[in-house]
Amino acid sequence: MLSLQLFPSNPNPTFLNPSFKPLSNPQTLKSPNPYPKSRHAPISSVLQWNRKPELAGETPRVVVITSGKGGVGKTTTTANVGLSLARLGFFVVAIDADVGLRNLDLLLGLENRVNYTVVEVLNGDCRLDQALVRDKRWSNFELLCISKPRSKLPIGFGGKALVWLVDALKAREERSPDFILIDCPAGIDAGFITAITPANEAVLVTTPDITSLRDADRVTGLLECDGIRDIKMIVNRVRTDMIKGEDMMSVLDVQEMLGLPLLGVIPEDSEVIRSTNRGYPLVLNKPPTLAGLAFEQAAWRLVEQDSMKAVMVEEEPKKRGFFSFFGV
Amino acid sequence: MASIWLLQFPSLPFQHRVSSNGTSLLLHHRHCLCQRLNWIPLTPNRTFSMRAIHDSMSSEEDKVVDTAKSTLVVADSKHPLALFQESITSLPPVVFLMKNCPKNYFTMGLCITIAIMVVTLRAYAERKSSQSNPGSVADLVRRGQLRSDRRGISRPLKYDDPFNNPLVKVGKSNSTVEMCGKQYRLAPVTLTEEQQAIHQKRRSRAYQWKRPTVFLKEGDSIPPDVDPDTIRWIPANHPFATTSSDIDEDLAQNNVYQQRGVPFRIQAEHDALQRKLEALQKEEKLNNLFIDSRNAKDFQRPFKLNDRSVEPVEQGPINNSRIETKPAKPELASDSIESKISSDEMQQP
Repeated sequence: MLSLQLFPSNPNPTFLNPSFKPLSNPQTLKSPNPYPKSRHAPISSVLQWNRKPELAGETPRVVVITSGKGGVGKTTTTANVGLSLARLGFFVVAIDADVGLRNLDLLLGLENRVNYTVVEVLNGDCRLDQALVRDKRWSNFELLCISKPRSKLPIGFGGKALVWLVDALKAREERSPDFILIDCPAGIDAGFITAITPANEAVLVTTPDITSLRDADRVTGLLECDGIRDIKMIVNRVRTDMIKGEDMMSVLDVQEMLGLPLLGVIPEDSEVIRSTNRGYPLVLNKPPTLAGLAFEQAAWRLVEQDSMKAVMVEEEPKKRGFFSFFGV
Repeated sequence: MASIWLLQFPSLPFQHRVSSNGTSLLLHHRHCLCQRLNWIPLTPNRTFSMRAIHDSMSSEEDKVVDTAKSTLVVADSKHPLALFQESITSLPPVVFLMKNCPKNYFTMGLCITIAIMVVTLRAYAERKSSQSNPGSVADLVRRGQLRSDRRGISRPLKYDDPFNNPLVKVGKSNSTVEMCGKQYRLAPVTLTEEQQAIHQKRRSRAYQWKRPTVFLKEGDSIPPDVDPDTIRWIPANHPFATTSSDIDEDLAQNNVYQQRGVPFRIQAEHDALQRKLEALQKEEKLNNLFIDSRNAKDFQRPFKLNDRSVEPVEQGPINNSRIETKPAKPELASDSIESKISSDEMQQP
């Protein structure tokens, strides 16, 4: 389901506000609302385009993407939100914190370019910049993997290592990241503890089913115990038709159970699997898919530290009369 | 109607020449008038009169010529207007239409209007498709010769607002959204800050957890001043964990913070290799300084016990060395025998 911000709370709302400041060259090839012909006419339009979201909070913003339950879409969310942020012009470093089962590189199509990991950096086999894999599609997006399979990292040491990593990335003179996204492994074991150590905020990915919600609730409790208070939720794999038929919990029901602000609602989309097969995240699809648009909107809200104020609920289509053909 | 208008336009310049006083001439013909004027055979005595209308454009519509007479005055039967009129009326489709359905002007008008609309729409569609400048770089991108996303490197890609999508049509009341053929209703989020706080309190009561700081193997004793809640017990057969402090933490931290230069382990391996190489080179030099045993025999005197006096005096130094070595050998032999005797004595109980 897509959502539109009707009642934004931030001082610079992004929707239905004519008092925005467009860029100096706002005309695009795909702009649906071209500028009026008269040069002297005031620029006013209901919807904005070609505006970069305003970054809120201190940089770098270290965000851990977690869920508790496996298979709900953490890695997909990390890849798509990360690339959306990179497309918006921010420097992003995505860290795959799953020590044993690494797959963020697969989703991004960078599996053949991962030569060094954090374990090699710790051992002194390479420098940190040599372990960062820069995406050729968007040069301001970099990937860092914690380890290769069958490698060992002492428990309790991983958290410290991640803290050092974040500090080292922050201390880089060039390409200091604006966002550091940490893809958390499933569960609440050592990997989870390692991944949440350097994080300031969290994005909880869940699906509208009871098992995922229970795990998400527990993970939220652990995050709050560890001192992470800024937690937002993304509800993934939403089927509006099943919600309409009351076979699936609605997004508002999910929010009522967890009590977390909504960052995004991602509809079920078969394009996710195809994009995984291609190694090409679906936010890069042209034209964008519904899920891709939803990820972009979620990335926008993440930048501005905003949350959804309304969700879309599918309804029965209105019955149209004979003259509906003419647009009446 | 169109044929009527065709007749009118050639007459305008002619009439304009006639009226030179600056007044504009306007001819409005209703369909009955047109019928009477044009579709009767031309006669030399046909008069065509019109009324001069004032300049003001606003009153033009009111001053329609109602009283135009049905005669057309043609000075000459060879008048170009008459000739043109004859050519039009002689066209077979026009003749057919006018004979069979002379009064169905509404249908004709509708057909003509639809035709004009179709032509306009086609022209608009063609104009839109040709806006991309055929033969431009966009064609290269379309054909796959250029990657459109790579072009953003030289020029930043203009990014579309995700909230502004042509697929999404917002209803007038702003509460309905049409998207991909489905209708959606916007339902506002109902979570308040009080409800959020209630959930946080519930979780803080339900989930008590402290971050583990001490990691112990099974069987290890608990240190005295450590909170038991912060101890993490590691099973012995954990597949991806070690508890031994193989990694020097300070060294690891330095490795992470290193931004330039050769990484530590590579440098260490390189240094070790360098040292080994130097050691090997030194060893080779030393080996080259040692005397070869095969060559040493040339310096040895032959062992001769009975022929001391026979040897000439010239071989004095050599002979002396040989003589010296000879008694050394029996001395060595006697020493060895003595050592054997002494060892035998030692071994006897």
